[in-house]
Amino acid sequence: MASNDAMKKLELLGKSMVSEVKKGEGPTFETTLRTKSNTIFDEAVGCLRTGDKKEVRKFLSVAQARTFMQTVAIANKTRQFLKEDLHTSIRGLFYQLKFSLGEDIDEDLFTEQSESNGLIEDLEVALKIKREDLHLTTDRKGFVAGPMTILDRFGGDETIIDLEKQGRSGWSIPSDVDNGMEITKLDADYVLVVEKDALWQRLNEDKFWKKENCILVTPKGQSTRGTRRLLRKLADRKLPVYCLMDCDAWGWYIYWTIKTGSMNLAYLGRDFAVPEAKFLGVTMSDIEEFSFLDKLTIKAKEVDVKRAEEMLGYPWINRHKDWVHELKLVLKTKKKIEQDALQGERLTFVGEYINNKIKKKEWLS
Amino acid sequence: MSDEVFKQFKEHSVAEFFKKNRQMLGFSGKVRSLTMIVHELVTNSLDACEETGILPEVFVQVEELGTDHYQLTIKDNGPGIPKSHLGKALGQMLAGTKFHRYVQQRGQQGIGAAACTMFSYITTGQSTKAISACSGKKFTANIAIDFVKNKAVVEEIEEVPTDENGLTVISEFKDVKYERSNYGVYEYLRRTALANPNCSITLIEPNKQRVTFPRSVEQNPPRPVEIKPHPLGIGTHDLLEFAKRSKESKKISPFLTETFARMSAGKVEELKNMLPTVDFNKNPSDMSWEDAEAIVKAFGQVKWIAPATDSLVPIGKTQVEASFRNIFNPEVLVITERSPKVYRGGIPFMVEVGIAYGGGVAAAEKRGEVMRFANRVPLLFDSGGCAITETIKTIDWKRYDIKNFDEEPIAVLVNLISVHVPYTSAGKQAISNEEDVMDEIKFAIMEASRSIQKYLSGKRRANEIANKKKVVTRYIQQLSSDLSILSGEKKDDIQKRLTKIIEDKYGGEEELAQGEGKGNEEETVPTEKEEDEENGE
Repeated sequence: MASNDAMKKLELLGKSMVSEVKKGEGPTFETTLRTKSNTIFDEAVGCLRTGDKKEVRKFLSVAQARTFMQTVAIANKTRQFLKEDLHTSIRGLFYQLKFSLGEDIDEDLFTEQSESNGLIEDLEVALKIKREDLHLTTDRKGFVAGPMTILDRFGGDETIIDLEKQGRSGWSIPSDVDNGMEITKLDADYVLVVEKDALWQRLNEDKFWKKENCILVTPKGQSTRGTRRLLRKLADRKLPVYCLMDCDAWGWYIYWTIKTGSMNLAYLGRDFAVPEAKFLGVTMSDIEEFSFLDKLTIKAKEVDVKRAEEMLGYPWINRHKDWVHELKLVLKTKKKIEQDALQGERLTFVGEYINNKIKKKEWLS
Repeated sequence: MSDEVFKQFKEHSVAEFFKKNRQMLGFSGKVRSLTMIVHELVTNSLDACEETGILPEVFVQVEELGTDHYQLTIKDNGPGIPKSHLGKALGQMLAGTKFHRYVQQRGQQGIGAAACTMFSYITTGQSTKAISACSGKKFTANIAIDFVKNKAVVEEIEEVPTDENGLTVISEFKDVKYERSNYGVYEYLRRTALANPNCSITLIEPNKQRVTFPRSVEQNPPRPVEIKPHPLGIGTHDLLEFAKRSKESKKISPFLTETFARMSAGKVEELKNMLPTVDFNKNPSDMSWEDAEAIVKAFGQVKWIAPATDSLVPIGKTQVEASFRNIFNPEVLVITERSPKVYRGGIPFMVEVGIAYGGGVAAAEKRGEVMRFANRVPLLFDSGGCAITETIKTIDWKRYDIKNFDEEPIAVLVNLISVHVPYTSAGKQAISNEEDVMDEIKFAIMEASRSIQKYLSGKRRANEIANKKKVVTRYIQQLSSDLSILSGEKKDDIQKRLTKIIEDKYGGEEELAQGEGKGNEEETVPTEKEEDEENGE
């Protein structure tokens, strides 16, 4: 979305509030509820999204007056960012808005960043835009390498980035892959997402992406917004997306977040979800298939068990028999295997393992 | 009690008896004794003034002569006492005209001015000086008491012509003490002023400080009248007593109409119809216990008009309000006056309650002040066993938004009015726990408290709304500024409009809530429906 659109939406918001004021009414702000109860699984698309429950906030309501004013302040401030074509983090925004309301008012516009974080999400939902469209950046974490070229318009410069020439470190996925960012060349057969940076480095060293003609991505744990957006864009280019995670509930949940989106960011819907993603492994069944893995299991942590129990409760997961089977095995054996264990026999085993899985279509949805 | 005292006076030396039994007359404790003396004399002054239609002006001066030794001067603007009666009034025990009358009196309370003369004489050996200006002559005399004969000894000093009226009494006392406590002269006069808004009282304290409790209303209360007992207050035994003593009536029917208040011929017919077995033509003296019992039972089933109010003189709503405003200047004031009821033996009584909250009450140091009165006379002592105190304890103040009665700026006045106040003891400082009386006190306080509660909750709501308004208002500036930039409209215009919207929304609510609070003040007195006086008469 061009920043012009976002700016227009912000200005429209202000105008509609002022027109309410001109009619002698207290200004209102309508947004969609971001509660768990208003989060639904979209069967047709295969991702989580926010339901239809709306909430109207009123400036005249004592309980909402402060957050109302704060929301409008964020709208105005981000409009300024767009106008000046400058970016900042949500923390940067908080500091921009942390000032006293006036000499005679012993109160700051914002006192804690936790106040502004939620309101940013409210604005995203209400205006149907992403925070990246408001020039708000998030932390980067993921890396990518492979046969792809990107045109980056940034700070007045235009840079062509060849993801085949990023050496040992790969290209760090920016927080916003939409604005001022363009995929100019893409010549891969699939996308491989590995949970851990260590494995990514291993595969990068093997030139796995070159041999396999794939895009090699690591979110380095849970995916950032930028990584998820990039995966969505690659899936839009009809590339299959395969994921290789640790064999524990935590790793599996990282996969599910990529696939269906998270409940927290359900309002972003399909833009941040890749329902097409496939899960290659590591699965509990792999332990039976590859005997050496049996010795490499470690004890599941309490958080793994808890997460497994939670996942069994999610309807979009527990309707998959094989996933229920996997999760129940975790609960039964209380064991886990890290993806690093695939290197246990020999370092190059991982590549073979992946190849095999893809060839035999041995994946879980 | 008075008969008994009188008998004992005859049998013993009065002085001897008095020394032994001074506490019986209220003279116990140094502070209390002085208060009782002031009470006796001030009461006499007020009664004398009111009886002759004069607006009372009372002057009280207490001078310290030594340790526990004071001179007391009390001066009024009343009619004075004729020379021939002066000795009797001030020097003879039980010579007053107040005993055994079925009428509301202040003087029921004490033993009379002569007791003060006696107390002065016993403690100091001095006689009491009286200056009476009456009918154009000012008579000055020293009055002493012949204890053996219970007779006044009047030593004339002078008699001069005057165009003034009034009585001045000057006496010395020992074994007394002036103190500004809850039991002292100051508090007594303050409360007297509160319950007697028609009088003006000036006090000069031993330290020469002059305190004036000004008059709040320019009219004396109506004089109480003697009345007949009300049927609802009559027991079987009472009815028989009345019947046996009846001389004028030859039949029960006229006996009933003549003896009892509110007993019309129509009501007697009603009773007759209810009691076919009772012969209403029989001589009242032949009335049997069974007859009396049946009639009394029937009394309870007939709908009666309440006892005549004119036998009872309350302070009055407007009067209490005036004096409360004068003395407390409270933020809110509620006065309840219940219609008359009877207790034991057809004795009419009524309860008046005033509750003042906040304002001047908050400024005073006292919290949760209870002011007890009987026939407008303040009861300062023996509060522990008093029906008024007991009843107030049973009130669930939290229900009326009074969180902690003892710590809130609230003053409660309870005035029990009756021709015969049921005192707990001869000290006449506490009301006994008569169930009917306690119920009435409770109802009256609850009625008043409801209005206080309405006011307080209205005020709280107004406060809440004002706070809400404040909360929203403080964000106008920032919001207007942001909206102005976003929309491209003028900031001043947005700000002005927003301010007006908030003013319209919260200003209106605020007024409404405050109005509710004030509204209570208007209808301070929750009215108990006055019963139709003419019905059945």
